[in-house]
Amino acid sequence: MSHLHLPDGVLPPAVWIAGALLAAFALALSLVATRGESAQRLALRGALGGIMLAVMAIPVPITAFDYCMTLAGPVGVLLGAAGAFQVAFVVTLILALMGQGGFTVVGLNTLVLGAGAALARPLYVALVRRLAPAPSMALATAVSQLASSALWLAVLAVSVRLAPGASHDHEFAHAIAWLRGGTIAVVLLPLLALAIGIESLLGYGLAAFLARVRPDLLPQAPGEPAPLARGAKP
Amino acid sequence: MINAFAQVDQLASAGRSVWHRASAIAKLSTAALLVALAVFAPGEAVLAALLVTAAALVLTARLPLRLALAAAGAPLAFAALFALAAWRGDPRSAFALLARPVIASLTALWLVGTTPYPDLFAPLSRLLPRALGDGLFLTYRAVFTLLDRVERMGRALRLRGGQAGPVRDRARRLGEAVGTVVLDGFERSQRLAQVMQLRGHSGRICGCRHWLDVRREDGWVAAVAAWTVLAAVFLPRVVRP
Repeated sequence: MSHLHLPDGVLPPAVWIAGALLAAFALALSLVATRGESAQRLALRGALGGIMLAVMAIPVPITAFDYCMTLAGPVGVLLGAAGAFQVAFVVTLILALMGQGGFTVVGLNTLVLGAGAALARPLYVALVRRLAPAPSMALATAVSQLASSALWLAVLAVSVRLAPGASHDHEFAHAIAWLRGGTIAVVLLPLLALAIGIESLLGYGLAAFLARVRPDLLPQAPGEPAPLARGAKP
Repeated sequence: MINAFAQVDQLASAGRSVWHRASAIAKLSTAALLVALAVFAPGEAVLAALLVTAAALVLTARLPLRLALAAAGAPLAFAALFALAAWRGDPRSAFALLARPVIASLTALWLVGTTPYPDLFAPLSRLLPRALGDGLFLTYRAVFTLLDRVERMGRALRLRGGQAGPVRDRARRLGEAVGTVVLDGFERSQRLAQVMQLRGHSGRICGCRHWLDVRREDGWVAAVAAWTVLAAVFLPRVVRP
């Protein structure tokens, strides 16, 4: 994944409780935004959530590690911010039930996955005015992954700072410095960059394919005529 | 994780242990208690007791060891990263940081490996808003058909040399493959929406009510819950750091 799912019992309660409240607020907003949607949109969210879970199960051999994709960016582009955030919550809850990520941190994991996904569509719509769908999707996916990864790192940094005994402790301050300088620079950043690159290329291929066979599934820039759905008459 | 979903689902439906016969509500409550105790447990002795309890639950449910190890190992990467960052020379706090997520993860595996998903999701969907509760059912249902499609697609890509060449080309080909799965998912969702409308979908998918059936085996689940509470209350007094 572009990030590891946060597990139970590691983060300070203040962090995951705040995450749960923020996620609940964002979910409430998304529910208001999608109120009255058809059963078809609901079924589509279910299908794309299923695809996210299925794609997460594909290991992509890059180096010594297998990388697992999230597809959060493309799903965000296809569903829009509100729908994608709901899908992120459902996917996170199912993953928690499978032991991947914790129950108490479902809110935080939803925020990490959903924030990036929610950003993707506005970015795509802005980019597709100037660029073709494939590079627009790739860039939107890259920014979406970057946002998720930055949020994940922020959660980690805040949690380390709030961990018991963090204040007035030279060893702890040293640990934080080591975390910032060592782990992030040497281990995490290259892996995150690689993950962002792979997700973006995946988004590129996906959008190139959809633009060729079902352009009506991709959102259009405002003012652009919508392409015809397959089988539709002009 | 490629087969984990199918394996856990099959085990939950076909398992014959005492836990499989217990009601979903009893197991959900006990799992919530175990996770809460794991998160807030005051000492290492309690955590060790909870860890043994969670491992015993998984083993007595006759869940495969490979799955148990995978569940136990899944949260360790993040927990180890955090333990390393917060290391202050105290092995007990490092043990606590590593044990808490493992207990929660094993408990989740026990719950999901002994409870069929309609029983598991029905109470959850009653707590959630309609769109999210329905999304839980529809997403889980979609996973299996799509996993099958993704597996076949992955096999075809491998056999046709789709995973050869530079990362850029591989990722682009993978994107096209995922595109066909997205189209498949879209078409399935259209058919599903039509089926839902034909069957008079009223805005909530109702799971079955088996989750509420209290059974004799719930006594064992209650005993586990009682043991964990006793351990959390008395062990810190008996075992002093």
